[in-house]
Amino acid sequence: MSASLRPVLETLTRQRGVRASLIVSESDGLVIDSSLRFGQDGERVAALAASVYRKARLSAKAARLGAVTFLQLDAERGRICVAGAGNDLVIVTVADVAANVGLIRMELFKALELIA
Amino acid sequence: MKIAAVEPWVEAPLKRYVDDARARLALLLHPNGQVLAQAGFTREVDVMTACALASAIHATAGELGRQVEGRAFGGLHYAGPEKQMYLAPLQTSRGAYICFTVFDDETSLGLIRIYFEELGRDLAAAALEAPPVSASVLAGGFEAELNRNLSALFRPRDRWEGRGGSQ
Repeated sequence: MSASLRPVLETLTRQRGVRASLIVSESDGLVIDSSLRFGQDGERVAALAASVYRKARLSAKAARLGAVTFLQLDAERGRICVAGAGNDLVIVTVADVAANVGLIRMELFKALELIA
Repeated sequence: MKIAAVEPWVEAPLKRYVDDARARLALLLHPNGQVLAQAGFTREVDVMTACALASAIHATAGELGRQVEGRAFGGLHYAGPEKQMYLAPLQTSRGAYICFTVFDDETSLGLIRIYFEELGRDLAAAALEAPPVSASVLAGGFEAELNRNLSALFRPRDRWEGRGGSQ
């Protein structure tokens, strides 16, 4: 499984400003595969991002807003983007502030189609 | 949330672990099954029985690990339909301990593992600063020691702290 997921992640990580991309199990927060640049703590990012995504999904469901398609978290020195495939897999990217979120979002959706 | 500890130096790290990881329950025990501290919704289990069973599981898993790959297995995770458990050892300058954690879908195994690592670091640091132990837990006065521990752990309401107030 990892062999087929790796190109998906590498394509994402090649985007300008992307520091890391990970495929994570939403329910248990564990990394399935990752492509990390130096200095990223993949396990920690995966567990916390999956937890945030899960809570966002449950909040949207409680508010009867339907499925969450894309989650973006902006922080002082970067941003985290998460998209879910609806099969317990979520793709997490960690990017610089200056990264092109539109491009990342598009690549995330392409990647989701490949892992769905 | 209820928290009680036989030795005060474990209390703060264990409370932080349960709070941060959003665990329902954490029991810290000696590998022989003697409970050292409890935190969380401890009324959900019979603490003494849970400690005895956790100790036995840890010993069994350790021996299985030694049989299979020449060394004891580390953490053990079991996922039930609603609740999950994570059982793993911790090493401090005061010796080895086992932490038995019960959690539900408020959190995840990934988060539990992350905060468990922090618990290990916090306990190791706290162990260095804590006053020395007066006697071995298995010394001749074992029964008196056991009774002292039980009364410390199960003393009435004065050690209860508020988190949701559901206990």
